[in-house]
Amino acid sequence: MNASAASIAHDAHGHHGPVLQYQPGLPLSRGKLIMWLFLSTEIMFFAALLGSYVVLRFGAAVWPKPHHVHLSEPIGAFNTFVLICSSVTVVLALEAARANKRSLAKIWMLTTLILGGLFLGIKAYEYSAKFSHGIYPAAPRGLIYERPDLYYGSAVRARLSDPAIIEQMKELDARPESELTAEEVTGRRRLAQVREMAMAVDQQAFDLAVIADQVMPLPNEAAGGHGHGGGLNETFSWLQLPIVIPGGNMWASTYFLLTGFHAVHVIVGLIVFSILLLYELGPKHAGMIENAGLYWHFVDLVWIFLFPLLYLF
Amino acid sequence: MSTPNPNETTASHGPVTEPGPLAESRAGGGSTSAEHPAGHGDESHGGLGLYLAVFCALCFLTTMSFFTYSSYWPWRDEPQVGWAFMMAVSCTKALLVVLFFMHVLWEANWKYVLTIPAAMMAIFLAIMLIPDVGLRNRMVAQERALHMARPADLLLLERAANAAEGESHHAGDHDH
Repeated sequence: MNASAASIAHDAHGHHGPVLQYQPGLPLSRGKLIMWLFLSTEIMFFAALLGSYVVLRFGAAVWPKPHHVHLSEPIGAFNTFVLICSSVTVVLALEAARANKRSLAKIWMLTTLILGGLFLGIKAYEYSAKFSHGIYPAAPRGLIYERPDLYYGSAVRARLSDPAIIEQMKELDARPESELTAEEVTGRRRLAQVREMAMAVDQQAFDLAVIADQVMPLPNEAAGGHGHGGGLNETFSWLQLPIVIPGGNMWASTYFLLTGFHAVHVIVGLIVFSILLLYELGPKHAGMIENAGLYWHFVDLVWIFLFPLLYLF
Repeated sequence: MSTPNPNETTASHGPVTEPGPLAESRAGGGSTSAEHPAGHGDESHGGLGLYLAVFCALCFLTTMSFFTYSSYWPWRDEPQVGWAFMMAVSCTKALLVVLFFMHVLWEANWKYVLTIPAAMMAIFLAIMLIPDVGLRNRMVAQERALHMARPADLLLLERAANAAEGESHHAGDHDH
């Protein structure tokens, strides 16, 4: 077939020699085809992550409420808005490039880059809020215990027996009341109670729950507020006592895995956009912008599902 | 609709096709995809107005799913209603992004070849996790049950919180 094709082409353009031309299998360019193939593998990648999350969450006996793990719904909603805006700007960049409005395309591309950076910044702020509460995906930094049981009690005792902490507590006890804030005064009183209860010989199950509540109270959903103020860990940041969040360890693992992989995708997208900014964004490079845009919309798509699943469920 | 019909060209010209619909012939080799096959027609479908309309719809839908979090949401006691609502909203948003921003609405039929198998495998993947992962707490080793959080733990913590709240109120009264 190729031979006959060559001969026909040869006949048609005698002096050009044989020119082989092929019909593409699909009515789209190679770059776009490969991007779509890549995206279909990405669909399965995130389906595995999201599917495992949903199955783990609904199979768990207890799953923490968003407020138990210090998630802020308005921040999540704002991040959704930021990503949607960036999706629009990348589409507008493509349209501008196709219309040969190069500088306009560049402005839209730069806006997309800034919005992506804003998303990452907000995400980093959220991560730091988790870390400051001792919510990490794993030990040794993670302070989460599943239930206020004997293991939790012994972990609290171990922390309170740490020489550095004993030193800090001595310092706190020595300070006159006039030097302390009102919060620190009540905190000191509560810390003394907790120490007494943690070291007590005739400890009851309820005592351990009281200790957990004093260290980091779980906000009361029904009251809509944040319980009775911050716990000891918040008043004294050096304390870092173990905390109790039922289901918190599995929550932390899934949350950091899902949002982490999504953030990695955002970072890759930003790198691609930075490279695109080096080019003249005219019709010649519209295909590149389109492919980068397809990837970026997919990243947006994943967040569209992540936001309600993580923040509102 | 506007896709080139390869059969027709093949029939009239033999195995050689017209140079028109070839992306490679004009792209000049290495570049990923400089231009699209003529007649494929995915240049400027939407226009600013359509994209802004989709953007407004997306913002509205985000507000709707955020609405379930507000105190005006009437089904606060039945979270399942909110979950179903939010998933419906998310699927609608995903559909809008895929159809308009990713231009799938204007693509030829190849879109089904790529998206439907991937979507089906994604769904089966999640379903296959149910027996081993989703139902993992039906049969639990005693050792694991010892360390597992249970709803009773939440109740215990709640009782402790209420006791502490009562105490702090009491202390507050005492101060005054």
